[in-house]
Amino acid sequence: MSGGLFLQSLILGVLLGGLYALMAAGLTLYFGVMRVVMIAHAAFLVLAGYLAWFFTTRTGLDPILSLAVTVPAFFVLGVGIRRLLITRLKPATMTMMSVLLTFALALVIEGLLGFTFTGVQRRIRTGYSSANFEIFGAQVAVVKLIAFVLAVVALGSLWFVLKKTSLGQALRATIQHREAAELVGIDTDKVAGYGFGIGLATAAVGGTALALDATIYPSLHWHWIGPMMAIIVVGGLGSIPGAAMAAMALGIIHAFLQVPLGATWAQTVFYVALFGTLMVRPQGFFGGRLAQRF
Amino acid sequence: MPNDSDLADASAQGASRPWPIPRLLGTGTLGALAILVLSFPFLTDTGYLLSTGVFILNYALMATGWNFVGGFTGYISLGHAAYWGLGAYATAIMITRLDMPWYLALVTSAAAVAVIAVPVGIAALRVRGASFVIVTIAFVMILLLVFQSWAGVTGGSSGLMVPRAFDVLRTQHHQIFFYLYAAALALTLLVWWAIDRSRFGMGLKAIREDEDKARALGVPTYASKLVVFVLSAFFTGLAGGLYALWFGDLDPVFQFSILMGAYMVLMALLGGIRELFGPVLGALVVGVSVEYFKSEFGDTQFHLVATGLLLALVVLFMPEGLIPWLRGLFQRFGPRASSIREVSAGELAEQVEREHAVDEPGSRS
Repeated sequence: MSGGLFLQSLILGVLLGGLYALMAAGLTLYFGVMRVVMIAHAAFLVLAGYLAWFFTTRTGLDPILSLAVTVPAFFVLGVGIRRLLITRLKPATMTMMSVLLTFALALVIEGLLGFTFTGVQRRIRTGYSSANFEIFGAQVAVVKLIAFVLAVVALGSLWFVLKKTSLGQALRATIQHREAAELVGIDTDKVAGYGFGIGLATAAVGGTALALDATIYPSLHWHWIGPMMAIIVVGGLGSIPGAAMAAMALGIIHAFLQVPLGATWAQTVFYVALFGTLMVRPQGFFGGRLAQRF
Repeated sequence: MPNDSDLADASAQGASRPWPIPRLLGTGTLGALAILVLSFPFLTDTGYLLSTGVFILNYALMATGWNFVGGFTGYISLGHAAYWGLGAYATAIMITRLDMPWYLALVTSAAAVAVIAVPVGIAALRVRGASFVIVTIAFVMILLLVFQSWAGVTGGSSGLMVPRAFDVLRTQHHQIFFYLYAAALALTLLVWWAIDRSRFGMGLKAIREDEDKARALGVPTYASKLVVFVLSAFFTGLAGGLYALWFGDLDPVFQFSILMGAYMVLMALLGGIRELFGPVLGALVVGVSVEYFKSEFGDTQFHLVATGLLLALVVLFMPEGLIPWLRGLFQRFGPRASSIREVSAGELAEQVEREHAVDEPGSRS
């Protein structure tokens, strides 16, 4: 592997890892506040991508501007999904049944997308779609960098909300120990709803970032479920930094394997990582207490 | 808390039950249904109806195979299509490459699927709940990638043709496979029933309700789970092998589809995973609806929406399934339930919560 290729793979891996990390953050939030594994997260990502594409083809404006609509809409949708669907599940079988429920949600979204927009592959065209720039002999697409920046901004705002605001404090308390949080006067029900909404709002950002760079089609979310599941199991769903670290590592490894193995076989790295982790450390590498029993 | 069970004599339950009528009724209904199923190929000679019948039996066999894991241990596998697809491809490859006779290929491939399921089970059963579901999905995704890419052996995306085992007309071909599927289904149901009544099955059901407590009581949880996991893969693989022989054309996208795994879960949940005939009933409902949606809406994505909505409705409103619900409807007319009965962990938790709420009015759980 030449130096330029090495650098190129590294940059691609970091850029992709940023997106994975954003996805992992959303998943960790859902799991933290409700003990729910949100299989439909990737489907919402694709939905946001379609909305961005629809916005751009209709108005001719930049797809990033669609975030002004999709982020609040997804937040409300998330609060609604938790309120109307997730809370109806019995607590004893919550985690298992939530997987089935969100899986059903993913099927409905995929079906409706196919119904509305047909199965034709779509791509957002902007002025900078095919632009590249060069660093130290590595070619990097501008859209990839923009997607990465979007992911970093979203992660940064998430970090700010969680660490610096009172809502974030309440959220973290709810994630750590629900009963104790209730004892100190936190309305955990409301906070969990906000947590779910914020998680889904990150899907809006992630989906838009994804659509900038990739061709989208209704069944695309299956392609993202692999990385998503690997992140859940390898990272262990304990903390957002842990999951983000697992996401970044997998993104970089994936990018490096793409060169010698090709796209299809490189995709298997996620599953290999998943099964390997199960054999060595079933609770994941960063998860700890929370992840062990879900 | 006292209920009628404390008043009734425990030994009156079971063998010398005062009312044998329900039992006789059950056996009679079962016999009548079996005769109805077996005579179905004579009632129609429409190829389409016959092939739909074979399809539904295939669904029933898959879902009952799935229910070895899902029903007994409560571990929900969304990726059981992996074993179905493996069984189908193994049968096809053994016939085309090794020139095996079809029956030998069928049994060998089901056994091979069971062997493959051992390491997968060892890895997957180390985690519970959602992680387990994730691992099963991952396995079917890996197989899809491998079978698409490894074109030299599997034919890749262009598919794999299986030569027909019987040189007969199309209608007769359907009839033969209708009975082959029915026989395999009967065998599977028999094994499920035998486990359900056994001590081994009791341990498995204890795992379903509370794995930690079951382990504390001395149930060898890991080994038990692995045994039913492998059995489940065997019967699902058998369904796949029969499918390969019957349908004759395999495509990785269809054989290793998560949607097929979701159908299995949907069928078993819809009928009732604690029931012997739950998956069969679910297969009937889902099979008929799938055929209906295909004929009505064709190739649109609408069947995904329908499947998703149905799955969501079942999970939200009828997680126990149709059979327990129907039984509940009829039970209010019959004698009161006996005291010694199985209670799920969920029901127990609700019961405790209710008592709690009575003890301390105004408190939240």
